[in-house]
Amino acid sequence: MRSFREFLATPAGRFVTRYVLFLSVGFLILALKPVNDRVVNPYTTFVAHEARIALNLLGEGARVTGQVLSSPRFSVAIYNGCNGLEAILIFVSGVLAFPAPWRSRALGIATGFAAIQVFNVVRVVALFYTGVFIPQWFGVSHVFIWQSLVILLSVVLWLMWVKRYATPITVR
Amino acid sequence: MAVVAAVAIWFVARPLYNPVLASATQVVARFYEWPRAAQILVDGDHAILSRTDLHSESAVLRVSLTQINFNLVPFLALVFALPGWWRGRGVKRLFAALAVFFAAHCLGLLWDLKAFYALSLGPWSAANYGTVLRNLYAGLRYFFEIPVTFTLPLVLWVGSYWDRVLVLTGLQVEARR
Repeated sequence: MRSFREFLATPAGRFVTRYVLFLSVGFLILALKPVNDRVVNPYTTFVAHEARIALNLLGEGARVTGQVLSSPRFSVAIYNGCNGLEAILIFVSGVLAFPAPWRSRALGIATGFAAIQVFNVVRVVALFYTGVFIPQWFGVSHVFIWQSLVILLSVVLWLMWVKRYATPITVR
Repeated sequence: MAVVAAVAIWFVARPLYNPVLASATQVVARFYEWPRAAQILVDGDHAILSRTDLHSESAVLRVSLTQINFNLVPFLALVFALPGWWRGRGVKRLFAALAVFFAAHCLGLLWDLKAFYALSLGPWSAANYGTVLRNLYAGLRYFFEIPVTFTLPLVLWVGSYWDRVLVLTGLQVEARR
């Protein structure tokens, strides 16, 4: 117990505490039904339309119905958990929890949000074509490959931001 | 290389890890129920959730164990990407973090099981679980399925290897007297 208290007093402990706090509050807000209905679902539909535009640039002839993205060859439903909001929350919480000037934080959040958006569209399009050409790999690709990449992307973006903008840590 | 090593370890360890995870979760589930009838069977990369005290044709739930334990891969990749991660108490820290992962995976599977019992077994669920418990288990299932699964790699990586993460980011660490 004492060593845990000592850990919380370190820079790592303070960061982890703040990070878990921001994440918990963030995920709690996202789980609320009014937020889900008015923010998360429209956002998920927006992601589906982004992917539709990308697919149609590739000549796929895709359309969106609700949160289902379909073409004559394949269709995918984009659920909560697939819309990139989790990756954004992981990144934003990391930025907010780390000591840095607010201007740097705002810049980091805006840039990270845009990067994760682009990545998520690539992910949805890649999964769509996985379903078209190698459907037997869709499950593995969806759960294992792309979810791992989403986590790694969030961490790498956070590291890049820390390296570029964060305040140096002072230790006693 | 770090990602390749992490994926290789995960693929090799998974056939051993999944049965241990299922057995441990079944022990925990049976610990606080009577009759002790919770059942978790492993079928490849999936767990089959059921009860031994219900009719053999009762509903079962097939849960992807990959969805529960895939987060070991980004965590291991992040650890292996740290220069000299094994030095000092690096290996001890790794095993401590893996123990936390195992506990989180057990709880994730446990809440899948409890939410299945509370919500998906029709009259049996209604007779044994009230509104509060149904909401509690559904909430815990969501919390472990998405927030915990997605954030544990970064939390444990930074928490376990803070000093090395600072070096990786290039931040100056100044000594203050």
